[in-house]
Amino acid sequence: MLLPWTGKKLIIVVKVVLFSLSVFFFSPAKTLLGQPYPLEVVDALGRKVLIPHKPQRIVSIFSSNTEILYSVGAGSRIVGVEEKTHFPPEVTKLPKIGGRLGFSVEKIASLNPDLVVLTPARHAAATLVKPLEIIGVPVVVILHKDVPSIFKNILFIGRIVGEETRARCIVKNMKKRVEAIREKIASLPPRTVYLETGVGSQGRFRTVNSGTYSYDILRLAGGKSIFPDLKRGFQVSGEAILLADPDWILVAGNQNRMDEIKSRPGWCKMKAVRNHKIRMVKREFLLIPGPRIVFGIEQIAHILFPEVFHEKDK
Amino acid sequence: MKKTNELPFKGKFTLLLILTIVCLLVGFWLGAEPLNWERFLELWMMPGNTFSRVIILWRLPRVLAAFLVGACLSMSGVVFQGVFRNPLAEPYLLGSSAGASVGAVVSILVSLPISNSISLPFLSFLGAWGATGIVVAVGRVAKLKDSHGLLLTGVAVSAVFVSIRGLLMMALSDETVSLKSVMSWMLGGIQTPYWRELPFMILLSMACFLLCLSLCRGLDVLGLGDDTAVSMGMNLTGFLNRSVLIGAFATAMAVSWGGLIGFIGLIVPHVFRWWIGPSHARLLLFSSLGGGALLMVMDGLSRMLLPPSEIPLGLLTALLGGPIFIFILAREGRN
Repeated sequence: MLLPWTGKKLIIVVKVVLFSLSVFFFSPAKTLLGQPYPLEVVDALGRKVLIPHKPQRIVSIFSSNTEILYSVGAGSRIVGVEEKTHFPPEVTKLPKIGGRLGFSVEKIASLNPDLVVLTPARHAAATLVKPLEIIGVPVVVILHKDVPSIFKNILFIGRIVGEETRARCIVKNMKKRVEAIREKIASLPPRTVYLETGVGSQGRFRTVNSGTYSYDILRLAGGKSIFPDLKRGFQVSGEAILLADPDWILVAGNQNRMDEIKSRPGWCKMKAVRNHKIRMVKREFLLIPGPRIVFGIEQIAHILFPEVFHEKDK
Repeated sequence: MKKTNELPFKGKFTLLLILTIVCLLVGFWLGAEPLNWERFLELWMMPGNTFSRVIILWRLPRVLAAFLVGACLSMSGVVFQGVFRNPLAEPYLLGSSAGASVGAVVSILVSLPISNSISLPFLSFLGAWGATGIVVAVGRVAKLKDSHGLLLTGVAVSAVFVSIRGLLMMALSDETVSLKSVMSWMLGGIQTPYWRELPFMILLSMACFLLCLSLCRGLDVLGLGDDTAVSMGMNLTGFLNRSVLIGAFATAMAVSWGGLIGFIGLIVPHVFRWWIGPSHARLLLFSSLGGGALLMVMDGLSRMLLPPSEIPLGLLTALLGGPIFIFILAREGRN
């Protein structure tokens, strides 16, 4: 009677000792080695997601997330992307898990991923999050609202895939470049700009909406949108643009669009058209919320403030 | 006489049952990656791997949910076609679906104190009932004798509800998240339920079926004409109100599980009326099985046709249903 009791007690004591030892040794060791897994994070939808180990097979949905993953050095671990992702060029060879018409849970599952990163655009979150949760694939939803949130998301993704140091470095570098632009144009008044991102429905146009990263890109480049209070999702009429008569018209599109703009009824009277202040800006620098937004800011600043940036070149 | 009637009916029923089971298997087989033998064996050998989990936890419940949605849509189609005595009546055209979608949009976009899984079917039901109620009331006030007039009213009420829905979506969604989820839901697509949700859904569908079944005798009598029905002691207005309520209930179930899926409720009862005749009890049984079977296959196709994309189910059914609708309209015109 006495003997087994002592045995049990002994086992308990040994367990306690072993446990405290493991706590003592493992927890600092884990962080020191940069292996904080299993890792629990909270994503943009407020969901708690458990990442059991360092992700090795990542499905990345949308260009922004793919570019961020590449920038933090996890590009080689991507096993599937969405159809419209073209950058960096090597991703075009990867298996596609969906496109314009939607996304396939079954295709994602057949790639056997251990992490899915997506943004709630084009129904992705609505159609994928629940099914992936059901089958037990960790899925992290990223929401790129404005420029600060893009910085946060780069750090966040870096942490999830175990490349925190590199992510910090990327963000630091990006912030430095944004700051450099700000310093150069700080003393100059902002230019009023109409930035057209697309042609909307019923003769209306899409431009940057306040609170979005495209709006921030324009603002950080020293541009002031002629519709500073335009809410997310709203479009503007041609008349409103004529009335606002901006200093500059920037077009996120191609040459055809530039010509078409000049031929819109009444637009030839606008200040910007008369002064030949219409320029094209690269869509991918403006509309993909990833590391390349810095190029977008630099590009627009160079267009709006030629005097500052040309002097520097000389 | 009775025997000769009964035998082919039993035969037809067996045929339909076999067809339904075949459709179930086809629905289970179809997907971005159709099940081949290797994959099928994997299901039993390695139930833990990701693909097997997709099949068991995602595809199978989805196929079953598709069956229930198809069945509910067809049931409401049978009820609406019977009560309005118009083969073109169906929830999509009568404003019922549009009304349900307004209710659903409110429940998705407004944060209500009750959980979404309860508020979605409930508000969809209120919307569907309200919209169809308006159509019926307009018909009554305007004394529309022709049931085509009622359908036109349905189209108009539908349009109003669709614009209300659009306004609500513009006004209520500040985040892209909720707007996108509404959009995907509107295009129609079976929401995969958890296994634990399925019994509840089956129970509701059964209730739907029984309620519709209770209308069948009345619908048969109504088919003989208003005067005959009244002379047989039927309360026309009361019956109409009850039918609309039950039809709206069936629509709301389908809409809250599968979004807006048009034309299933139109085609299925129609085809079976050609095949087995106008008796509503039989029609209801056949239509719910057949509608379920059809939607399982359509849903499978939506997953499989353009891999890796998934075509919204509502688009697919409209593609199939639109031409059939025109065909029925032309046939009706000739008669």
